[in-house]
Amino acid sequence: MEPNGSGSDASRQVQVRFVTRLPPPLRVPPASMAVPSHLTRFGLSDIVNLLLKNSDPDHENQPFDFLIDGELVRMQLDEFLIAKGISAEKVLELEYVKAVAPRKQEDPRPHDDWVSAVDGSNSSFILTGCYDTFVRIWKSGDVSECTHVLEGHTGAITSAKFIDIRGVENEQNFHLVTGSKDRLLRLWKCDAAKRRGDPIRVGAYKILAGHTSSVQSVSVNPSREMICSGSWDCSIKLWDVKESEEDGDGNTISLKKRKVNSKTKESEDARLEGAATSTLVGHTQCVSVVTWPDPDVLYSASWDHSVRQWDVPSGKETWTMVCGKALNCLDIGGEGSALVAAGGSDPVLRIWDPRKPGSLAPIFQYSSHSSWISACKWHPRSWFHLLSASYDGKVMLWDLRTAWPLAVMESHQNKVLCVDWWKDDSVVSGGADSKLCITSGIEIQ
Amino acid sequence: MGKEKYEESSSDEEVNSSSDVVEASSDEEVESSSDEVEASSDDVESSEDESSSDNEKVEESDSSEDEVAPRNTVGDIPLVEWHKDEEHIGYDIKGRKIMKQPRKDKLASFIEGADDPKNWRKIYDEYNDEEIELTKDEIKIIQRVISGRTPHAEVNPYEDYVDWFEYEDKGHPLSNAPEPKRRFIPSKWEQKRVANLVRKIRAGLIKVSDQHKEEEHNVYSLWTDDTDSVENKKHGGYVPAPKPKLPGHEEAYNPPVEYIPTAEEINSYELMYEEDRPKFIPRRYLNYRSVPAYDKGVKESFDRCLDQYLCPRTRKKRINIDPESLKPKLPSRKDLRPYPTTCYLEYRGHMGPVNCISVDPSGQWLASGSTDGTARVWEIETGRCLKIWEVGEVARQICWNPSPDRPILAVVLEYDVLLLNSGMGDIDIQTKMKELLHISEPGATEDAGDSKSAVTWIQHEKHDGIRMKHFKAVLSIEWHFKGDYFTTVVPSGDSKAILLHQLSKKHSETPFRKLGIPVTAVFHPSKKKFFVATKKFVHVYDLSKVEKIQKLETGVREISSISIHPGGENIIVGSKEGKMCWFDLELSTRPYKTLKVHSKDITRVTFHRTYPLFASASDDCTAYVFHSTVYSDLNQNPLIVPLEILRGHKPEHGRGVLDCKYHPRQPWLFTAGADSIIKLYCH
Repeated sequence: MEPNGSGSDASRQVQVRFVTRLPPPLRVPPASMAVPSHLTRFGLSDIVNLLLKNSDPDHENQPFDFLIDGELVRMQLDEFLIAKGISAEKVLELEYVKAVAPRKQEDPRPHDDWVSAVDGSNSSFILTGCYDTFVRIWKSGDVSECTHVLEGHTGAITSAKFIDIRGVENEQNFHLVTGSKDRLLRLWKCDAAKRRGDPIRVGAYKILAGHTSSVQSVSVNPSREMICSGSWDCSIKLWDVKESEEDGDGNTISLKKRKVNSKTKESEDARLEGAATSTLVGHTQCVSVVTWPDPDVLYSASWDHSVRQWDVPSGKETWTMVCGKALNCLDIGGEGSALVAAGGSDPVLRIWDPRKPGSLAPIFQYSSHSSWISACKWHPRSWFHLLSASYDGKVMLWDLRTAWPLAVMESHQNKVLCVDWWKDDSVVSGGADSKLCITSGIEIQ
Repeated sequence: MGKEKYEESSSDEEVNSSSDVVEASSDEEVESSSDEVEASSDDVESSEDESSSDNEKVEESDSSEDEVAPRNTVGDIPLVEWHKDEEHIGYDIKGRKIMKQPRKDKLASFIEGADDPKNWRKIYDEYNDEEIELTKDEIKIIQRVISGRTPHAEVNPYEDYVDWFEYEDKGHPLSNAPEPKRRFIPSKWEQKRVANLVRKIRAGLIKVSDQHKEEEHNVYSLWTDDTDSVENKKHGGYVPAPKPKLPGHEEAYNPPVEYIPTAEEINSYELMYEEDRPKFIPRRYLNYRSVPAYDKGVKESFDRCLDQYLCPRTRKKRINIDPESLKPKLPSRKDLRPYPTTCYLEYRGHMGPVNCISVDPSGQWLASGSTDGTARVWEIETGRCLKIWEVGEVARQICWNPSPDRPILAVVLEYDVLLLNSGMGDIDIQTKMKELLHISEPGATEDAGDSKSAVTWIQHEKHDGIRMKHFKAVLSIEWHFKGDYFTTVVPSGDSKAILLHQLSKKHSETPFRKLGIPVTAVFHPSKKKFFVATKKFVHVYDLSKVEKIQKLETGVREISSISIHPGGENIIVGSKEGKMCWFDLELSTRPYKTLKVHSKDITRVTFHRTYPLFASASDDCTAYVFHSTVYSDLNQNPLIVPLEILRGHKPEHGRGVLDCKYHPRQPWLFTAGADSIIKLYCH
């Protein structure tokens, strides 16, 4: 442990070898070396950068993160080894990855009222729902540009989702669904190709009525045939979208065009109304969030402190987990797209593994927030990264491999109400300060 | 004749022999004792008649002695010496003095003695202070005693011997006969008897008892320590001195190292209280002679003396009770979760103190009324203000209709009660509400009998609701759980102080009269009962019969608010001096428990509808959360556990928290503060 015989406590050294799965220009020679054990990840990052510079003079310094046995190093190396009980005698394998951190803060998109819903599943547009009853579509780009304003709801928008997440050929023409506190869901169609200077005003082509209280959340089936919605009336309703798309293709577009052109005020005359195909009953309180990760499986979280898994074809509840807190957000993702992340009426973000038999204890708990958690979202591709937004005005980026947040985005001045990933490397979040904030440049391999 | 002869002869004979007796009586009588009669050497039996007459005399004198009490009443004391200067020698039974015999001087008595031929047989009795003249018989007895004979002449000391036992021709007392055979062989009859007994015992006819065991109890230890025995304690007996601890290794002059405290330990002793500090700190010395004198010796012996001097001589009965055991056994707070603990959400927007809040029955919205003249509706989950009514006056109380089909808010202003359509609920409900809150004829409801002057129902144009104009200031409002009836309290309304209104008919009445000054009134959560709180009492009424069932005595100075347990059998009452009373209606009309918790007025007490919780809010800027389990078993008293003190509001003009309400479905508490903020405390 004291190679040169000069070692005192301050200069204890550890034998390490840097390995990585990064592409070749960022690989360092696999020889082991002795580094001081009091280094933190910044010191280790310097060493790696130095090694890279030795082999490639053009290398630009960048931060790295280091993993030991699948856990991110967040303290001094020796402390970490003691805390984890890892022997310092052996050569330590340090895997380094690019540090995940937001690099760029884009201009916030201003709204007229609280931004309560955001969807970033379309790579060129962002969908936001607002408390001023309008749904807006924002085009990606450096300048803030609102392309469409969807009007028709009479209450605050609580949830808005793209239905079509198709290939590039259809990106300019998409369908949307929104849920609102006026107890209705509305389906919308937008054609992004036809655009002029002003935002296009669009009306809904179909209204889905049936909930007797505020709709809190909508979610789209991955096969894009159905949507589901959770509401304050304690029920989850499933709606069929596909047939309405087909039969409505001809007339509703013309209807909408006419309406848009003539700017007539909303009238119920020609609008299609849809009814729920089925209702899932089981929750005893407000169903605050529904997600539909798999065509046959639906998850819902409620203020009755439970997360439930539903089998869609049979409409039966297949798994229930009670956590003791009223839940506001839920997302399915992570390892094998099976982990359940949920947050609610306390500052703790919890992650459960429903595959684990016989245990309802969360496998991870992250408690760096200081108020209710309003939204959480897994990264669409990464198994480890997820976002959480809280009423304390912070959006946090988490890595499952460490208990500390990777990044804290404090771009909001008030409660953050919604958050989503956008284009895999950006975070869009809306809050009670009436802004849509976009944080980009988050590189996740 | 025989007598005289006897006397003379005897006197001559016995002069010398009687000298002893004469000396004993007095010196002067020496020569006169010559005629002392000595019992004749002849047998006394010879003069039987004499002796019998003598005996009679003696008996007479004995009996006379018995009749006449002895003169001496003071006991066997030297009378001559002690009563030398007194004229009496004691007192008789009536308290009179017993006078001394006149004392003669020696010359007079000598002359008298010389004259008196009987002088020689007179004796002075010192005990009774009198002179006694001895009789002849007495002198005879004296003579016989002196001469060593039996005092009475009639006794025959030599009676004939009567041999009661035969011993002649008996030979040796032991028999010489050979031993009979039966002495050497076991007895046949005994054997038979034993066999008989054994048979009977085996058959169970005879029971063998263990008598010998009882005898063991009589054995006791002579040297046992019986200080603890009941006998000893009863008589406050001997208390042994406490046994001092025997010196151990640490008191040795050179104890093993492990007994020596380290420097840190010695330093830590310094921090202790003097009583807790160890009395002796072991130290090591090289040899015995270097051990210094015990420095505390003088002080300790002084203390010992002091102890003994001040030692109480009475036995005190000290009861050894662990103070912990006196605490009530309450369950741990952890087991009583969930309950509100932390404030996560604040509802900001009011410009003045928030007087009242109310949560809608679904738990989605919160209504609040404030001094700034507005009533607001908030979205609970986000804290957004959805609706503002400018009511223009101080909103004193606000109340959601408990029926989910009727999203109506009742707001209490100074003289008015506003019924407002909250605008929640779907279109059908909204149309119904509009109908319900519409008064076709403004004056149509005024014909409600005697309540005509009390309340007027008017359409409120500005807020599209109903305005109920009261004749005096309204203090509180409460809905019936079905949502059609409600009650308002007009404290200064005398007989019309409690008003019952029916929303669907827009009708009011005053069923209760003579109440005093009511403070608040609430409906029973499920039965047809009605609770009216006056300043010191809570009256329970049966609504169907309109009669008083119970009167609860709170014992507080002024009630500020009451709340009914959802089960309906328990009530909490908050008072203006910070006390809270819990009533169990089944138990008593007096408080089951009175909790003194707040330092200032309690503004509101409230039960949770589903969780076993209740809370109190006070002007001291705190809200207390309590757990309360009410058992269905009537024998078990309710369990009340204080859980949490919620702080966070700031005082404003001496007021703190003005209202608190629980969320209907979550263990969350809303508090409205005088600092114009509403806070939500979550679990």
